[in-house]
Amino acid sequence: MINFDNVSKVYPDGTVAVDGLTLQAPTGKLTILIGPSGCGKTTSMRMINRLIEPSSGVISLDGTDTQSLNRVDLRRRIGYVIQNAGLFPHRTIVDNVAAMPRLLGTPKREARANAMELLERVGLNEKFANRYPWQLSGGQQQRVGVARALATDPPFLLMDEPFSAVDPIVRAQLQEEFLRLQREIGKTIVMVTHDIDEALKLGDQVAVLREGGHLAQVASPAHLLAHPADAFVADFVGTARGYRALGFVTADGTLGVDREPTVRVGDDAATATVGADGWALAVDESNIPQGWVQLGRLNGAQITESDINISGTVAKEFGNLRDMLNSALSSPSGRGVVVDERGVLVGTVSAEAIVAAIRTAKQEVLAS
Amino acid sequence: MTIDWIFANIGRISELTASHIFLTLVPTLLGLIVALPLGWWAHRRRGAYPVIVGAAGLLYTIPSLALFVLLPQVLGTKILDPLNVVVALTVYTVALLVRVVADGLSSVPIETVQAATAMGYRGWQRLWLVELPVAVPVIASGMRVAVVANVSIVTMAALLGIPQLGSLFTQGFQLRLFVPIITGIVLCLVLAVLLDLLLVWLNRALTPWRQKTVTS
Ligand SMILES: Nc1ncnc2c1ncn2[C@@H]1O[C@H](COP(=O)(O)OP(=O)(O)OP(=O)(O)O)[C@@H](O)[C@H]1O
Ligand SMILES: [Mg+2]
Repeated sequence: MINFDNVSKVYPDGTVAVDGLTLQAPTGKLTILIGPSGCGKTTSMRMINRLIEPSSGVISLDGTDTQSLNRVDLRRRIGYVIQNAGLFPHRTIVDNVAAMPRLLGTPKREARANAMELLERVGLNEKFANRYPWQLSGGQQQRVGVARALATDPPFLLMDEPFSAVDPIVRAQLQEEFLRLQREIGKTIVMVTHDIDEALKLGDQVAVLREGGHLAQVASPAHLLAHPADAFVADFVGTARGYRALGFVTADGTLGVDREPTVRVGDDAATATVGADGWALAVDESNIPQGWVQLGRLNGAQITESDINISGTVAKEFGNLRDMLNSALSSPSGRGVVVDERGVLVGTVSAEAIVAAIRTAKQEVLAS
Repeated sequence: MTIDWIFANIGRISELTASHIFLTLVPTLLGLIVALPLGWWAHRRRGAYPVIVGAAGLLYTIPSLALFVLLPQVLGTKILDPLNVVVALTVYTVALLVRVVADGLSSVPIETVQAATAMGYRGWQRLWLVELPVAVPVIASGMRVAVVANVSIVTMAALLGIPQLGSLFTQGFQLRLFVPIITGIVLCLVLAVLLDLLLVWLNRALTPWRQKTVTS
């Protein structure tokens, strides 16, 4: 656990960056620090590994006051990932990851073998291992940054806007992968971000800071959306909070999933089974949804790839209601596509059924 | 007559060349060794940079002949001692390289330095394993300037009678012969070019990580 006890930071020029921060980052959980620019997020995070020294208050790791530890020893227990990865330009990717273990005396061969394993874990192809950082894209460099931070298997991890310098698609991908990784490694993480969606998606707990480093609220994402402590927090989590909150309501068995007739590329339009509205769901050999086709408007007598409308999204069978609703809203037929863990079609669900499920969930929350 | 002179003196020309190389390389290396900590200090302390770099610049304005004559008084050496030349050229090299080392260290990306610190590199580990290796391209380009300048400044030592390629100039003047002068000039040029190429090669060898699109 990382514990902030009434911690303040006043810079030499008089700027009060953090004021009386009291906060716990529980063991094995991911704690997000979020707030407007300049509110003291980076300052708070850097005080943990003493890149910045607190002016007052106590920060402790698993009960040990960080001031009682040697700075270098402290830092070696804490992995650190920053926005632009900050890789060593003169080392190859594998040697970047192996750098710290090598410094601590691990034999080269062993350190490199471990580094290769870590690179695989963060989803980087081994062909990149012997390249230099400038030969990688921003997203790839960021993966290396994460692997490097994990190389010595530190119990704590600090991440300062780790995914913000890459485009939205890569960011979403990195976030997914990181969540999966964290489920395996269960580090105690403090992550700074300015992206509320990222905070809600990744955080086990979200700490909202306001200007001057005051803690406005710390709570789980769902609680933050449902019960913002004040107008500042409500404003910060955004006007889309009702919709965002659906992301934390999972679809249970009561949601009615309907059987959906399917078609395949190559099928004859004349013999294909169609819904009453003329839309049919196209699947591949493994019954994985490909998109929707409108049988009355085919380019030829048979269904081809070009007939498939791919605008709709899919939702996981036991996923959240936000994904379900999104799937229904984005589908040209108005029916949301539901798949199982492997991506195989389960059926479709109507927007009406989802709204009904939302209403039920709301009543349960209010009743509890 | 012309080529004959070279053949007749080939032994001496070789000796002069060897001594010229020695008098150039030793001070260049010593200069680098002294400039590294000074440059590091200038890089570390904001206040120190202008002072150190300014002082180094001043040193460079001392005429070399004056330095050759003054140094024996300071060091207590004989005027003909090659040590004077070595010390004088070391001073020039330091003057040139302090700024180069400081700028080289400043060329290391701030995120890289900060990442190393945050990972738990000690100060000297970070300097030795991260900052200096990344500063090599900047330092190497400064070394190229220094070594070429030193090849030419060494010739001034001929006025004191310390043997190196410059001695061919004084000899040519005394004997009213062009051949030794031309020979001296050509050898100096060749030496400068070779040492420069050596540094270019060394830089390439030390920085396989640089982007290939960058021409040096
Ligand atoms: N070295 C410093 N000296 C003086 N003031 C500083 C220093 N570093 C940061 N500050 C100030 O402290 C406040 C908090 O800075 P900090 O970097 O922690 O903000 P942040 O929340 O990380 O912002 P951002 O989202 O823009 O990264 C800001 O007002 C900033 O200007
Ligand atoms: Mg910041």
